[in-house]
Amino acid sequence: MTRPVPHWLDDAQQSRYAQFKEFVRANVEPFAADWERDQALSKKVLSQLAATGWLGATVPVQYGGKGWDAVTFGLLNEAFGKGSPSVTSVLTVQAMHAMPIVRWGTKEQKSKWLPPLASGERLAAIALTEPGVGSALQNFTTRYSREAGGGALRLNGVKRWITCAQIADVFLVFGKLEDQPIACIVPRESPGLTVEPIRELMGFRAAGLGQITFRDVEVPVANIVGKAGFGFSHIAPVGLHWGRISTACHALGMLRGCVEESVAYAASRRIGDQPIGEFGMIRTIIARMATDLQAATLVCMNACRSEDDHSAEAFEDAFTAKYFASRAAVAAASDAVQIKGAAGVHESSPTSMYYRSCKVTEIIEGTTQIHEDMLGKAILGRSGTLTQGGGGK
Amino acid sequence: MNTGNVKETLRGFVTRSINFPDLGDDDDLFESGLVNSLFAIQLMTFIEKTFSVEVDADDLDIKNFRSVSAATDFVLKKSAATT
Repeated sequence: MTRPVPHWLDDAQQSRYAQFKEFVRANVEPFAADWERDQALSKKVLSQLAATGWLGATVPVQYGGKGWDAVTFGLLNEAFGKGSPSVTSVLTVQAMHAMPIVRWGTKEQKSKWLPPLASGERLAAIALTEPGVGSALQNFTTRYSREAGGGALRLNGVKRWITCAQIADVFLVFGKLEDQPIACIVPRESPGLTVEPIRELMGFRAAGLGQITFRDVEVPVANIVGKAGFGFSHIAPVGLHWGRISTACHALGMLRGCVEESVAYAASRRIGDQPIGEFGMIRTIIARMATDLQAATLVCMNACRSEDDHSAEAFEDAFTAKYFASRAAVAAASDAVQIKGAAGVHESSPTSMYYRSCKVTEIIEGTTQIHEDMLGKAILGRSGTLTQGGGGK
Repeated sequence: MNTGNVKETLRGFVTRSINFPDLGDDDDLFESGLVNSLFAIQLMTFIEKTFSVEVDADDLDIKNFRSVSAATDFVLKKSAATT
């Protein structure tokens, strides 16, 4: 129906992609609407997902992960994206938590924290956003302070809109230590840590969002990832980078779902004796959606390949992919509902779930406007248009 | 790998990123306001890929990446340590 996956995927990537799609068809798609309605994922699907080992897709083999490339990780998120936004979000935040440890963690941290993340024994989340602070990380109010003796830190603050907070066993918590940005691994069972569920979301309703409060939580110094002072410049960008790759490919999966739903409906729904696909107005919409799908596939896979090449452009390519794919998915979801009419509005149709959830991909891991600002600055900066301080001439 | 080649390669990357041909080798990249928030990690990734050195947590020191000259010294030091 839709074009096959890019021809340059190697045999292992194609075979794994087929496996991902089959798993989603059998174990995710039939139940996704129920999870969204219940505002919780079933224990069964989380346990099935853990058993696949895919929660450790990008974790190195020596730490119990699959050690797969970013292209395969992108395909995994694409396949799950079509099936359930909430299950995909588990893959997203697990990678956002694990990859900064892979990149910057000590040997001891990698040996201790990565194997249970890879096996799914522990689910993870990344605690960045605060009630009053989103993308402007420098304004965080969450504070770490040194305890007398130097073996531990004390953590105080509130994090909000944290995906998977309700189900995560461990958090990567960003804050400041004596005004130096810092990130630490904080287990859920730490005394003084409480999670309050956030419910009634428009989309990603089963993603277990929550608000986390830290009151004098003791954090061992050994749990600092990287170095104090580099939390925002080097640690967070790694997590957010993998989050953007995941979210871009997630949006791509929903976009594919919109195209497939629309094409199937256009072929079967008839007005008089004609399928609606015979009408030019429907063909126009489908042509636009399918072209966006191809374009989004290319930018998403380009971002994944840049990461696999360890290219300095990988970060900007992930911005581009997430920016393009999320906006294209929102447009496609609106079109898919329009084509299906009343049938597309009802909860029994995946298009209603796509319509609610695609918009969320324009918010998470940096809003569309933050992406425009970053990409615009980067492009203008290379042209020499910007003066010192980033302002325009 | 000699100092001149490393410096020219790094200077090329920095000036391509920010198109500021008058950049001095000792100019502070981060205090200049010329670079965006992703530049630090992009520069580090470029160094790792281009010069086949690994930047680890112990290397996280702004002094290592503050200017073209500082990054050159860092690359030469890391290369010497791994050969």
